[in-house]
Amino acid sequence: MVFTALFLAVTLTSPALAHPMPNSVVLLNVHANRIDAELQIPLVELQSAWGHAVNDSSAGLIARLGPQLRQYLKTHIRPQSPDGRFWTVSVGELAVSETQNPINGVYRELTAQVQMIPPRMDLPRMDLPGADTPTNADVRQFTFYYDVVLHQVVTHKILVSVRQDWERGQLAEAEPVQVGTISLDIVNNRILPLPVNLESGSAWTGFKAMVKLGVQHIAEGTDHLLFLLVLLLPAPLLVASGSIRRWGRFGGVRYGLRRLLLIVTAFTVGHSVTLLLGSLNWIRLPSQPVEVLIAVSILVSAIHAVRPVFPGREAWVASGFGLIHGLAFAGTLANLQLNAGPMALSILGFNLGIELMQLFVIALTIPWLMLLSRTPAYHYVQVGGAVLAGVAALAWIVERITGQSNGLTRAVEQVVVYAPYVLLCLALLAVYLTWSISQHQQNSTSHTNAS
Amino acid sequence: MKKVISFSLLLVGILAILFACQDHLMNPGTGGGTTGPGSLTGGPGMGGGMGSGVDIASSLTVTATMSTTASTNSSCATSTGLAKVVCLAQAFEATLSSTQLSTVQLAYNLTNAQKWSNLPAGLSARYGVNLASLSTAQLAAFRNLMVAVLSLNNSNEGYDEMMGNLVADNVLYYAGGGTTYGAGNFYVSILGTPSTTGLWELLFTGHHYTQPYTFNGPAGSGYTPAFRGVEPTSVVSNTATGQSYQSMEQERVAFAAMLTGLSSTEQATAKLSGTYSDLVLGPGQDWKFPTAKSGLQVGTLSAARQALVLNAIKLYVNDLDATTAATVLAKYTSELANTYVAYSGGTSVTSQNDYIRIDGPSIWIEFSYQGGVIIRDTPHPHSVWRDRTTDYGGTK
Repeated sequence: MVFTALFLAVTLTSPALAHPMPNSVVLLNVHANRIDAELQIPLVELQSAWGHAVNDSSAGLIARLGPQLRQYLKTHIRPQSPDGRFWTVSVGELAVSETQNPINGVYRELTAQVQMIPPRMDLPRMDLPGADTPTNADVRQFTFYYDVVLHQVVTHKILVSVRQDWERGQLAEAEPVQVGTISLDIVNNRILPLPVNLESGSAWTGFKAMVKLGVQHIAEGTDHLLFLLVLLLPAPLLVASGSIRRWGRFGGVRYGLRRLLLIVTAFTVGHSVTLLLGSLNWIRLPSQPVEVLIAVSILVSAIHAVRPVFPGREAWVASGFGLIHGLAFAGTLANLQLNAGPMALSILGFNLGIELMQLFVIALTIPWLMLLSRTPAYHYVQVGGAVLAGVAALAWIVERITGQSNGLTRAVEQVVVYAPYVLLCLALLAVYLTWSISQHQQNSTSHTNAS
Repeated sequence: MKKVISFSLLLVGILAILFACQDHLMNPGTGGGTTGPGSLTGGPGMGGGMGSGVDIASSLTVTATMSTTASTNSSCATSTGLAKVVCLAQAFEATLSSTQLSTVQLAYNLTNAQKWSNLPAGLSARYGVNLASLSTAQLAAFRNLMVAVLSLNNSNEGYDEMMGNLVADNVLYYAGGGTTYGAGNFYVSILGTPSTTGLWELLFTGHHYTQPYTFNGPAGSGYTPAFRGVEPTSVVSNTATGQSYQSMEQERVAFAAMLTGLSSTEQATAKLSGTYSDLVLGPGQDWKFPTAKSGLQVGTLSAARQALVLNAIKLYVNDLDATTAATVLAKYTSELANTYVAYSGGTSVTSQNDYIRIDGPSIWIEFSYQGGVIIRDTPHPHSVWRDRTTDYGGTK
């Protein structure tokens, strides 16, 4: 989080030519019927504009001057619709934090969460059925009268960017898109408002972006995939009879596919449930224990792949751990702070993306595992894969508890890049062994015929 | 046997695919290149580069070598005026290696000329070579050039003011600024071929100091936009010579004298309603002079008070060599009655956000007292001298 803030501060600073004085930054989060804005205002400039020693004694600033600050901000933030009516502005959470960039060094800034709502179009619309229902006002076109600090400190600059615009498929994960700068028109010695004209989007664009985000989440989320793949490793095998439980021979294609389908479905059901609940903010767990539990889930399925710990109950385990993985997915969605409609579509799209990517990887992997599981070599693939996954899981557990990366987790990151090659080798090995076994069988058959 | 052959074929296949893919993976990473000015401008090599600083020993060598003002050049001694500057610029270029020359000698255009800033080169890249990269002989040739275009034997003005700034930047290295600061981080470039008839520019720029000289033969010359600032504002000492500098203090005092010399009515007229935490027409704000002038018209003042305005102006114009300065000053003096002074903050020029502006038919000077980045809680000056007609020699 600190890193993100730093990154923003650096990237949003105008081209490095002058400015020993830090800029203000306005980050817009565009919703269907409102805009949430985050303001970042350097206290040194705010003090020059507003006084009250906000920079000289910034400790306890919000407690001391919260109401006055909110009033001041409201006076100087006045978005206006094309029909001339001003929007309703309310100032929410205020916070003071320290930030820095190479040009300005360390400085303190005020962060303010501001909500801007355009007036409703509640004029009677005779041309429409249900004429008296107010239609959604347009949040995408307005004149942004914003002169916080700038009304007095004429050398101040305000960079306005869109950080999130769901309907345009722009999510907060991407870099903010700059809308423009508000500053003194030096030649004419006046401060002009910023005309904002955001391209219109659609629910479909937002939905597509969420599917993409889901796909990306799994593609980059090594831990989620590893859990599922390792759990699937022993799926085609039967449990051997004997005093010590161990994995036995191939149980047949039908048996393998049935178990596989069951496990994947159970995992999906599990993470869908918590994704839904988490996204709606009905449950919220701190991310650290969730991340640790995800690593533990890999370890458990790795152990199971070596020796059957819970044979026949894989589906239950998959759904149980699915609940945990879903919580991690939910964090991403909850952060978007969307309205009910877009949120429902987001949950659907995001989950669909997760599913698509999951199925894609399974479709790429499972045929070869099924082929291999009919050969004696499978034992090595199964145990080798499980041991590697187990080691990675242990490394992640340590990393996620201590909060520090270690050599192993860094190695995993580098090795993951080569996963396609491993898959290729696996495929070639599977094809080769299957072919050689069938050759062998043919040979022995022809031999028998000949005799 | 058959098995062995087929297995080796398989292995070879796997390896071949692996290598093919590897190559494919590697390719996007390579490419790229070094940043420099646009290729349309005559393709200079590396620009100033970001972040790559200069060790303090090199910076101290630079200030030591630059400390003397006696010219070591004899071949240009007989020339005068522009011919002498051209001769010394050529003599400087003659000392450079072909690589250095291709970095220093760039095409003349506004884009290249605008590559200056008040920031250290490590935070805002410059073109040309930095002083740390020059040998003693090359540095001496550069010094001979600067000695000819700046005024001499003028304490804290002209060449002395520039030296004071270089020495101050060495102090910033020790004050926690690190290798981004120091005299070695100042850059010289020559835009266009030096000649007595054509358009070319000598640009010397670094932290808190930029001085361009744009020459265009008989069409005239320009010596702005020139940036002056300094940090620390306290007295700094040249470790090589023991000489002390306080390069912008005279300017600050002259502005304070100008403002406090006004009557309270005049002060009220001169006072701007806005607050200025920085310069308005700093780097990157070219050709944006306000249409209307603000403040107090100098022509309405008593002769004594007009002289105080001119005193402040002289501290900028008289940085140039005496002959050039006299011409420029004559123009500004003739336009003095139609020149305006304005200020914001206090009249004693001691606090952050104290701001002064002199805006005439030609002249534009701003002085801003502002918070520092390396030295905290002590204001330091930023100042720019521009000319409404001859900025960049008139190139727009």
